[in-house]
Amino acid sequence: MRLLFSRPAVSLLCLLFSFVLTPACPAQTAQARDSFTLESALRQLIDRFATAPNLRGPFKLQFFQDPAFAAETGKDWQDFFRQQLESHHFSVSDSPDAALLRVGVAETPAELVLSATTRVGEKDEVRLLTFPRASFRAPSLPVVPVRLEKQLVFQTSDRLLDASSPGNDTSGGMAVLVYRDFAFVALRIDSVGAVQQSVSLAAAGPLLSRDPRVELSLEPDAPSIVFSEKSCPFSWTAAAADIPCRAAKSVPRAPAVLTPSCDSRAWKLLADSSDWSTPDLLQAVPNEPSHKGSAAILSDFPGPIIAISAEQNPSASALVVTRNLRTGNYEVYKVTLACGN
Amino acid sequence: MRFTKSLSLAAISAAIFALLGPPPALASKRPRYGGTLRVELSATSVSFDPRSWKPGSPAAGDSEKLAALLYDRLVTLDDYGRFQPALALEWVHDPSSKLWQFKLRPAVKFSDGSAVTAKDVIAALQPLFPAGFQVSPSESGVQIRAPRPAPDLLEQLASSHYFIFRIQPDGSPIGTGPFTLAENSVSSSSEATSAPLKPAHLKFRARDDAWSGRPFLDAIDVTLGNPPLRQVLDLQVGRADIVDLPPDLIRKAQQENLRVWSSHPDTLLALRLDDAQPGAADPRFREALDLALDRDTMANVLLQRQALPAVALLPQWLSGYAFLFGTSMNLDRAKALHTSLPAGSAGAHEPIRMRVDAVGDVMKILGERVAVNARQANIPVELVPRSTSSTVTPAIGLHLFAWHYDSLSPRVELQALAQHLHSEVPADTIEEPVNPEKLFAQERRLLNERQVLPLLLLPKYIGIAPAVRNWSAEPSGAWRLADVWLEPTESLTSNPPADTGRTTAPGGHP
Repeated sequence: MRLLFSRPAVSLLCLLFSFVLTPACPAQTAQARDSFTLESALRQLIDRFATAPNLRGPFKLQFFQDPAFAAETGKDWQDFFRQQLESHHFSVSDSPDAALLRVGVAETPAELVLSATTRVGEKDEVRLLTFPRASFRAPSLPVVPVRLEKQLVFQTSDRLLDASSPGNDTSGGMAVLVYRDFAFVALRIDSVGAVQQSVSLAAAGPLLSRDPRVELSLEPDAPSIVFSEKSCPFSWTAAAADIPCRAAKSVPRAPAVLTPSCDSRAWKLLADSSDWSTPDLLQAVPNEPSHKGSAAILSDFPGPIIAISAEQNPSASALVVTRNLRTGNYEVYKVTLACGN
Repeated sequence: MRFTKSLSLAAISAAIFALLGPPPALASKRPRYGGTLRVELSATSVSFDPRSWKPGSPAAGDSEKLAALLYDRLVTLDDYGRFQPALALEWVHDPSSKLWQFKLRPAVKFSDGSAVTAKDVIAALQPLFPAGFQVSPSESGVQIRAPRPAPDLLEQLASSHYFIFRIQPDGSPIGTGPFTLAENSVSSSSEATSAPLKPAHLKFRARDDAWSGRPFLDAIDVTLGNPPLRQVLDLQVGRADIVDLPPDLIRKAQQENLRVWSSHPDTLLALRLDDAQPGAADPRFREALDLALDRDTMANVLLQRQALPAVALLPQWLSGYAFLFGTSMNLDRAKALHTSLPAGSAGAHEPIRMRVDAVGDVMKILGERVAVNARQANIPVELVPRSTSSTVTPAIGLHLFAWHYDSLSPRVELQALAQHLHSEVPADTIEEPVNPEKLFAQERRLLNERQVLPLLLLPKYIGIAPAVRNWSAEPSGAWRLADVWLEPTESLTSNPPADTGRTTAPGGHP
């Protein structure tokens, strides 16, 4: 089953073609339904390989893996393959007399290609399976225990512009601003990353910009999206058409300043953000001018940092929006200035 | 896993950073609008009419890169294997993947202000498809009916010549892309013949009303036909921002500390054996020549590690299985095969004539190396110039050619290459549903026939000025120049850009 759509708003077309064509499904739905793990793909490969006639072990395994793919998956899959092969009653050996079984995992622009090949008599038995790359589900990413701690709190394939934490919310929730189908959409996210509420803000800006400089402001009782030349207050309960915008020269958000519980000094969060094709480094530097240059704490991110906003409560954390260059997803991290190691 | 760079690296970085202090230009920067990007290419001419592009031609690859400034496709493929809407917002296909329907993006206009209609899309795409494909209007846009299942149709539409374009009656091209063609002084072919060394200029201007957002750049100036050494010099002295580099100049560019970016290997250099000289048809001769070729030396010594030895027709990044193929040099076996050839046949004692079909110094020295390798196995090879003054063209037994990979569909690419070789392609293999095992078997058959002997895979190398930011390319090879922006020169000394080698992650909208 191939992924068909990349945007969710396809219900009309779904209805239109559902009688004659393969059901049209948005990517997010299809992804959830059709996504696969490397383990499930390897199981299918072994099932397919086992259909080759006159297979006789033991096999000496030789693995091939694309470097880019290796960076994401490591080599755990090789152990998994070995175990699965043995569970199919094929023995594995390092003996030079054992038949060579070459196993490959490779990425092409659109597909993941798994291969297993061995020689049986005078014939090469080659088994190949392909899967859409877009439905590959990577294992969960670990959090690196650095002094500047970060925790992945939300991710989406939609273009994410900003994230903000309401000052009066102690439940750990937040709001994010995404750009989807030519409209800004504000989403309210709960503490476990589930979308609680969404408001379409189409009136705020109809023309796509290559670099929308937009901030989500969550002033108590007056949420708004703030452009460089206008401000558009909205209500979580108002309809999209009711959103008024007024001309206003905005002041860019001040750098996020964090104060850890064990240090009286305040630390400012900075990022380069100038190149969309390279991962960013988040830097915490002392906020006081007298301390400038005396120390810095660094944390690497999986892509360019798009926005940073300080959380009001507690004051030792901030939300950082980035685009993961490996997966293409947009991610929000909660960054905390932790004490000690 | 992506985050495991981590503690040790961060600790070392922190220590260094603590010693040096943060650089002054640390504040968050955003892309900057404005400026003109100066591009120099070695190609002497380009065509903006995708109907005229010859499959596999390196010239078509250059044309495609520039055409992507003017035109859009129905869909694109992002760096993560996801098809993204471009001029088509949505698409569906029937269970057999023969009938595809595309809903067109509303309110998109050509650069002359006229709206894009289904009729325009049909007029653009129909001539580009092979016989049997039918593009017609549908309720919400267009539909494409394939003569056989085409599950890889999106890969096709996201690459190669499948642009939505219009050629005006005066010959000028217009599209819906982020730029328009403001000036075009490219010589016609007859003028180019009379003045081949005169560089040609193209100027592209940003469209404020581009549906995909206005590009950061105001304009792009392209100079065609500058010699490679001149381009390197222009990059060094700040007269150019982007130049294409031949592989033999990469080492020099790196020694000069120039930023060099490389693509996936997008060009195959290979030998085609031609039955026009009868000896070249003998399977023993073909195998002997194959075993005599020292691909590793060609890649590592001759091209200074700027190319890869080729063992398959499709590259690993496109097929995912090229590593399963392999051939190794075996001079003893090659000599033994050669001695078994019939006396007097071409390739035995009479020389096999070889012609280099592509231009460039790299092709020339590669041709000479092939001849040397062949002679080491006692196979006489005579290099024949591309244009001979003789009225009688001698029969050629070997062609050294370059093949540019156009399509993101391995099936389509292999089919095009097989047709280029005039090979008989069974309809039940390449043209039927994309079955990777059948595709592999077909490629293996072509390699075993040895009508074509792959030699090297070449990436595209680009020299990039320090002021250029956000450089990246699509999986199809097109440059994302609408996302590029130029850093003011004064801020470069305090914050030089990172090297943008292929190993860095690809870009796109952050």
